[in-house]
Amino acid sequence: MAEEERHDRLSRRGLIIGSAAAAGGLVVGAAGGAGAAVSIHAARESTGGAGGDGDEEVVDLTTQHAFYGSAEQAGIRTPPQRYCVYMTFDLSSTLAGDLQVLLARWSGAIAQLMKGKSIGQVEPARADGVALDTGEALDLGPAGLTVTVGLGPKVFGDEFGLAERKPALMRELKALPSDALDPALTGGDLSLQACAEDPQVAYHAIRDLARMAKGTAATRWTVMGFGRASAGKGQTTPRNLMGYKDGTRNIRDDDEYRKFVWVDDDGPAWTQGGTYQVVRKIQMNIENWDADRVSDQNRVIGRDKSEGAPLSGTKEFDTPDFTATASDGSPKIAPTAHIALAAHENNGGLKILRRSYNYTDGLNQYGLLDAGLLFLSYQNDPAHFETLQARLGASDLLNEYISHIGSAIFFVPPAPREGHYLAEGLFA
Amino acid sequence: MQPTSATRRAVAAAGLAAAVALSLVACASGDQGGSSSAPSGSSTAAPVSDGASQVKITMTGGDADRCELSSTSAKAGPVTFTVENVSSTAITEVELLQGQRIVGEKENLAPGLGAAKLTLTLTGGTYQVYCPGAKTETQDFTVTGKAATQAAGSVQTVLAEGTKGYGTYVAGVLADMVTAVGNLKSAVDSGDVADAKAKYALARPFYEKVESDVDGFLLPGYKATDNKGNLDYLIDMRASNLDPAVGWHGFHAIERDLWQGGKITSSTKQLAAELDTNVQKLAQLAKGLSYRPEDLANGAAGLLEEVQSGKISGEEEAYSHTDLIDFAANVEGAQQAFAYLEPGLKKIDPDLTKQISARFTDITTLLDGYRDPDIPGGYVYYTPALKKTDASKLSHAVQALQEPLSTIAEKVATAA
Repeated sequence: MAEEERHDRLSRRGLIIGSAAAAGGLVVGAAGGAGAAVSIHAARESTGGAGGDGDEEVVDLTTQHAFYGSAEQAGIRTPPQRYCVYMTFDLSSTLAGDLQVLLARWSGAIAQLMKGKSIGQVEPARADGVALDTGEALDLGPAGLTVTVGLGPKVFGDEFGLAERKPALMRELKALPSDALDPALTGGDLSLQACAEDPQVAYHAIRDLARMAKGTAATRWTVMGFGRASAGKGQTTPRNLMGYKDGTRNIRDDDEYRKFVWVDDDGPAWTQGGTYQVVRKIQMNIENWDADRVSDQNRVIGRDKSEGAPLSGTKEFDTPDFTATASDGSPKIAPTAHIALAAHENNGGLKILRRSYNYTDGLNQYGLLDAGLLFLSYQNDPAHFETLQARLGASDLLNEYISHIGSAIFFVPPAPREGHYLAEGLFA
Repeated sequence: MQPTSATRRAVAAAGLAAAVALSLVACASGDQGGSSSAPSGSSTAAPVSDGASQVKITMTGGDADRCELSSTSAKAGPVTFTVENVSSTAITEVELLQGQRIVGEKENLAPGLGAAKLTLTLTGGTYQVYCPGAKTETQDFTVTGKAATQAAGSVQTVLAEGTKGYGTYVAGVLADMVTAVGNLKSAVDSGDVADAKAKYALARPFYEKVESDVDGFLLPGYKATDNKGNLDYLIDMRASNLDPAVGWHGFHAIERDLWQGGKITSSTKQLAAELDTNVQKLAQLAKGLSYRPEDLANGAAGLLEEVQSGKISGEEEAYSHTDLIDFAANVEGAQQAFAYLEPGLKKIDPDLTKQISARFTDITTLLDGYRDPDIPGGYVYYTPALKKTDASKLSHAVQALQEPLSTIAEKVATAA
C-alpha cells in the first residue's frame, strides 16, 4: 500500500514537471496542465534565486513541508502558498493539562495533515463508529499545506499557572491610531494559520483541528484568504486587492530573519527561535478606491501600479529615494505615502516579515464588496509592529480607503522535534 | 435514530465470553512500568508485578507506524497495559477487542505526552490489540487460564441492566406526557388563554426528553412517506417543515394559536383534542420497547443534535420563546441515557466517561443560570435579544459535549 502511494506520487510529480517543461519552463498557462498540474501562478520550493525575477512558478500539489524540526514552525519563512484559512480560539478550559493534551494532539495531527494524510479513520470499520477525519481532503495530496500554531496572551495569564514561562515580550498590543476594532474580530487564546495550494486542503485542516479542540477551545473568529498578498523568497510579488504589488521589500535574507523575526533573548529556553505573530483584518473600501484616479492611487501608495516601481524610480526593485523631487520641487514620493511611512529607512532600520492574504466576506449590508487584507506579520518584538502601525495609522494617505477592524497577537513557538509537541517546554 | 416500528432488537446480553469486571486507569506520565520492550510477537507471558500482568504497548512512527507489544499473552486476572506513543502521528488510540466488542480503550494518545495506564481484569481467551492507523492494525493477545470470579457484574450485564432502567425511565416520561397533554387539552377547552399557555409550557418537556426514541412511529396502515400517519409529524411539526398535503397539527400549531393569534378558536380545541389522542397512541405503541446500549448512546447524541439545530436557533418555539424548556429537556433526556450507560462505560473507558459527565455538568450549570421559577416551565424566555448575546455560549457548551458523546455508541455496542 505504501508502495502504491509512492508510485502515485512519483507519477504525479512527473506530470507536473512534464507540463512545466512543455511550456518552456515558464509560467504554465491555465490550460497547460492536467490533474494535479493545473497551475496559474504559484510557488514551488524556493531555489534561492533573487526575489521577483518572474521565474517559473508551478503549482505542485505534491509539495510537502516538514512539521517537525529544530528551527521555526513551517508557514512563516515558507514561501506563501496561494490560499490561507486563519482562525482564532478562546480557551474554554482553565486546566493547563487540557491545553497540553490539545497541543500534543494538534501536533500529531498537523504532522499527518502536512504529509497529505488523514488524521484518523474516515470510515470506521464499526457501524456505530464516528469518523476521526472528516474526509474532504482525502486524495487531494499535501498541497504544500502548512499549519502554524500561536498562543495568545491569556495562555500566560494567572489562570493556567504558566505565567513563569511567559515569552519575554508577550503582551496585548497597544491601542493604535485609526484602530476601528470589532471585538468579535479581535483577540483569541490560540491561533491556527493553515495555508496551502488547495483551499479545500487548508479548510479541512482548520475544520478537523477545530473539532479536536472542542471542550478545550472554542472558535472565536476566522478569515479565509483566497490569494497571497506577500512575496516570499524566490517568488514574484503578488498584488493586494488595491491592485498594487505588496511585499516588494519584504524580509528575505537569513540575516534579516535572525535580526527581525526569530526570538533570541533572555526569555525562557522554550521560546527561543519562536516569533510573535500579529494579525490584522484590514477592510478595504474598495469601491471608493476603484473610483479614484490612478495618479492619486499612485500617490497614496508611493508606487506605480503596473510595474510597482517607487515613484522615484522605474523598476519594482529600485530603492525608493524619499528625497527625490519633481521639477516643481515637490517630493516624488509623498511623505505620507504608504511606502514612505512603512520604509525601514524612515523607521530606524526596522523591518517586519509580512505574510498577508487577500480575503472577501462577500457583500456587506449595503451591497458593497466586503473585502480586504488578512495582514499577518512576524517579528521578534511586538513593539516593532506597533512602531510601524502607529505611524501608518496616524497619517497614511491610505487610511481613507482602509480600516483595521480585527486584531490579535500570538506567540508562535518553534517547531517540535519528532516525538515531541508544540510548546512542550511550557509544561515541563 | 429512527425506529420504524415498535419492535427493537432485544438486548444481546448473553454469551459474553470475556468478563471484564474491573478496570482502573491512571495517567502516569513517564512511567514505563513492566519490563523493557521485547520484540512485538514475543509469546512469553507478561511479567506480573503489583498483582497485575504488565504489558507495554509502544507506538512509533517513521517509515511505518507501529504498535509494539512487550508480550502477546498474559495470565487471566488483572492486566495493566502501559501505553506510550513515542513518535507515531497516525495512531491516536488503542483498543483491546474481543471480536467486535471493545473491552478497554485508551484515546488521545500523541507523541510526547508520556505513558498512560489501563488496567483490565481479563478471563481466558483470545483478544486483539487494535491500533487504528498502524501498519499492522490488529495483533492477537492471548489470556490463559480463568480469572477469579468478580463480585461486580460483567460490562455486558451492567450495560443490559442500564438499558432496562432506561426503558423504565422512557415509559415514565411517556405516561407523564399523556397526563400533561390532557391538562393542556382541558385548559384549551376552558377557553382560558393564559392557563392554556402555562399548560403548554408544562406539557412540552416530556416529548423532548425521549424524542429520539419515539420519533419513528407510524400509525397502523400508513406508509413511512405519508405524513398523515407519522406521529412525530402530527405531534411536533414546526412551521419550517410543513407538508401542505397534511397541514399543521400538534404542539406548535397550538403554540401559534395561543401566542400569535392570542385566542382559542374551535380549531384550537380540535388541535388540542387531536394531540391528546395522538400522544396516547404514541404511548401505547411505545410500550414494551427494549433498547440496546448503542440505542441509548445514539439517542443521547440525537437529542443533542436537536438542541443544536432547533433550540439554539430559537426555531422550535418561534412564538412562545420557551425554547430553553425544550433545551433543558433534551439535555435531561440525553443525560439520563448516558447515566444508564455510565456504570458499564466506566469499565471500558473511564477517562471518557469522566469527561462526558463533567461536560453534562457544565451544561446543566449553564442552564441553571436561565432558571426563573415565576415563568411556567421554569426558564426565562429565549428572546431574540437573549439569543443574540447567548447563543454562541450555549452552542459551544453543547458542541463540547457532542464530540465525546458521539464516540460512545461503538464502545457500548453489543452486536453479536
